[in-house]
Amino acid sequence: MRIAVLLSAGRHPVSGKPTLPRTEAQAIRMAAGLGAATGLHVGPDAFPAEAALGHGLDYAAHIACAAGSDPVGPLAARIVSDAPDIVLAGRRGQGGDETGLVPYAVAARLGVPIVPDAVAMRPATDGLVEIDQALPKGVLRRLVVRTPVVVTVHPAAPPPLPFAFGKARRGSIERIAAAPTDLAAGAPPPEERPYRKRPKMMRAAGGSAADRLKAVTGEATAGGAKVLDHQTPEDAAKEVLAFLRRVGVLAPASAAGPGRRPAASEDASRHATS
Amino acid sequence: MTAAFAALAFLMTGLATAQTLRRAALWRLGAAAPVDWVSGLAKLPKRYLVDVHHVVARDPYASRMHAIVAGGLLAATMLAGFAILPPLAGSRFYWSVVALAFAMTLAGSLLVGARRYPKTPKRLSKGGFQRLPFLLLAYAAGGTAAALSIALSGPENPVLLVALLVAAGGGLGLAYEVKDGPMRHAVAGALHLIAHPRQKRFEQGRPDAALLPLDLDAPKLGAELPADFTWNRLLGFDACVQCGRCETACPAFAAGQPLNPKRLIQDLVGALAPDGPTYQGSPYPNARPVAGEAGPLFKVIGPDAKIHPDTLWSCTTCRACVEECPMMIEHVDAIISLRRHQTLELSAPPQKSFETLANLREADEPGARPLTARGDFAAGIELPVISKRGEADVLLWLGDGAYDMRYGRTLRALIKLFHEAGVDFAVLGEEERDTGDLARRLGDEATYQGLAKANIETLQKYRFNRIVTSDPHALHALRNEYRAFGGDFEVVHHTAFLLELIDAGKLPTGKLDAGTVTYHDPCYLGRYNGETEAPRKVLDRIGLSRVEMARHGRRSMCCGGGGGAPIADIPGDARIPDLRMAQAAETGAEMVAVACPTCTAMLEGVTGRTAEIRDVAELVLMAVETGRADEPRRAAA
Repeated sequence: MRIAVLLSAGRHPVSGKPTLPRTEAQAIRMAAGLGAATGLHVGPDAFPAEAALGHGLDYAAHIACAAGSDPVGPLAARIVSDAPDIVLAGRRGQGGDETGLVPYAVAARLGVPIVPDAVAMRPATDGLVEIDQALPKGVLRRLVVRTPVVVTVHPAAPPPLPFAFGKARRGSIERIAAAPTDLAAGAPPPEERPYRKRPKMMRAAGGSAADRLKAVTGEATAGGAKVLDHQTPEDAAKEVLAFLRRVGVLAPASAAGPGRRPAASEDASRHATS
Repeated sequence: MTAAFAALAFLMTGLATAQTLRRAALWRLGAAAPVDWVSGLAKLPKRYLVDVHHVVARDPYASRMHAIVAGGLLAATMLAGFAILPPLAGSRFYWSVVALAFAMTLAGSLLVGARRYPKTPKRLSKGGFQRLPFLLLAYAAGGTAAALSIALSGPENPVLLVALLVAAGGGLGLAYEVKDGPMRHAVAGALHLIAHPRQKRFEQGRPDAALLPLDLDAPKLGAELPADFTWNRLLGFDACVQCGRCETACPAFAAGQPLNPKRLIQDLVGALAPDGPTYQGSPYPNARPVAGEAGPLFKVIGPDAKIHPDTLWSCTTCRACVEECPMMIEHVDAIISLRRHQTLELSAPPQKSFETLANLREADEPGARPLTARGDFAAGIELPVISKRGEADVLLWLGDGAYDMRYGRTLRALIKLFHEAGVDFAVLGEEERDTGDLARRLGDEATYQGLAKANIETLQKYRFNRIVTSDPHALHALRNEYRAFGGDFEVVHHTAFLLELIDAGKLPTGKLDAGTVTYHDPCYLGRYNGETEAPRKVLDRIGLSRVEMARHGRRSMCCGGGGGAPIADIPGDARIPDLRMAQAAETGAEMVAVACPTCTAMLEGVTGRTAEIRDVAELVLMAVETGRADEPRRAAA
């Protein structure tokens, strides 16, 4: 099985030094248990590729491109030409040019499924891979997915192997020049919205602490589940809305009058900008 | 028949040489090391008679025993060899001198036997060593009888043949044992003294304990195979006489962690020569199972090899074993060499140190705390930063104790004393990174060298006369280990600095009435730097009545905090600091004076302790404050 690990240029939250994001180092360890892994970094600086070698990769490709240009195009092009079975990536951006939504954009560009938050992976029979996916509250879900697939790694996966200087020294980095792409051309323009006051989730719950916890976490007890099958879309939507109002995610129908919203949001946005 | 006696001496020498050469073939598998044979050979007598004797004499029985038996053996064999000269062979006086030498050996071999029979002490290995007294006895008794019979009744008498045969049995046995048996220590020990990898330890007044820098461009980092050690280190392992002094000194051994320095050295010997005799000394406590596969070109560390990784990571690098070793073996160097390979090449430091090593690499600090927060402990006290002034007389190196709430009290006391004494000092502030000591002891030489070079560059930007630090680990790094990277600084430990201030009259101290105190020597100050007197003098100056623990000074016991051992956290039966505090309790002292942030944390973390833990600086501040409170009273009187 061939694996490509997407590497991004993170920053240490305290020192601000360039750092390979932890989840990507974890991805390298996970990839080592699956098959031949190579690293792939698109960006101005080769640092993430070098760090990845120290964490256990033998080979990484660094596609050089200008700071601020869109990495999705070069990444997708490289993945298409390499055709790995699995693309492993970090999970979200926490600092610097960390991966953020790039895995999702790459999966969309490639037209392959993306499975977020893997904690363990095992190759299954021909072209299938078994993924343990982390869900909230420690729940694991086992998925069997057909490759190729993009998978992001959850922090609860086995901890990364420490950086080893000798390994970093032994591994090799291939430097590739990419055709410059403009970030603005590739990515959708960022959207700005006025601040919206969040509905209070606790209000509807009341009762004991256990009730409130249940309301917030939405614990699905067997008795609470309501299975509706073969509904018309309108009925289904009504049911979903009613449920959301009941657990307090949406404000009750009477409070959602159009008159109060803009005033509240204006007020809040002044707060946010001041 | 007198010629046969001389022939025996030559035969023994020849056999011993042949056996040595067979063994030397194994040493030659090791890496090359430059050795100055001529100067080493010239210095051998001094090293043996002074340096080795100094260590051996700590056990007076062993010292007397060894002097008599080794001196007798050498003298008797050499004298017997002279019997090839006809004028001597005919002299009865000569033969009585030979008899005297053999009689001395005989007395010595009885002492050797008495040490092992009827009951062998726990720290001594058995195996071949149990045979040794009998071989010595045979050689000495046979030699005495033979020489005596020639001296008394001439070269032709019936006793002589039998006596010579007995002597030959013993003597040739001893010579044969030079390759794999107990007698190897004599030949390898002498060669080791000549070709010792740390020549400086015999020459300067203070110990030579700085780790040797690792060439990060070397084809292989650290030692993986026995053959990766330099040949003179392999020779050093072979010099081990299995006396077990190291195991009685080793804190990890005492705490039931799977480390026994003697066993470790014997495992390294066994890894080089797997067909040698099996080890018959005390094992690693709670030994982890290993498959035990070995060979000069087979890896040393691993559950499938000779030494389990837990053994490697139990070491606190306190150097107690090195200090106690009469054969001058460098255990800690070997451990660090093996650790370097684990960490740098295999990504296999102890699991619990992963995060610490990552923090040191990525945030220059083992706890990933912001460097700007290092001075936070001093809130409310003036703490001058050198970048604002450019120069100072004294640069105060805070170390990572500054982040610790408890140790902050010590540093505050020290800074108050500096202000009191009018010391012109400053700190590096946010420019101070970790010294990298921890990374280095955990085998991460690359991170260490990065930190060392960055710190040296920072320090060289500013003008100061001396560095003062309260952290012996930082002191050792800055003073001794940074030298290899171009950092040459005069570094003073805060206890020595306070002594200077007190003696110069800059710190008017009152007399403390705080009961008895015992001082715990930090390994990196006492054993690594030979500084044991200044802190004691400070305690005496402020009027404390001082008692000593059984283990103190350069033979002190580690608090368990060095070498990354608290981070590796290898489970044992007890905790090292608990053992040390029990030793402190034996003295009845109400207070344990410490001089190191790690010792402070380790010893204060002991539950149910009866003694208070106070840094020397805190005690001096107490004395200064007492003096200040007494002053108005004295003025009034």
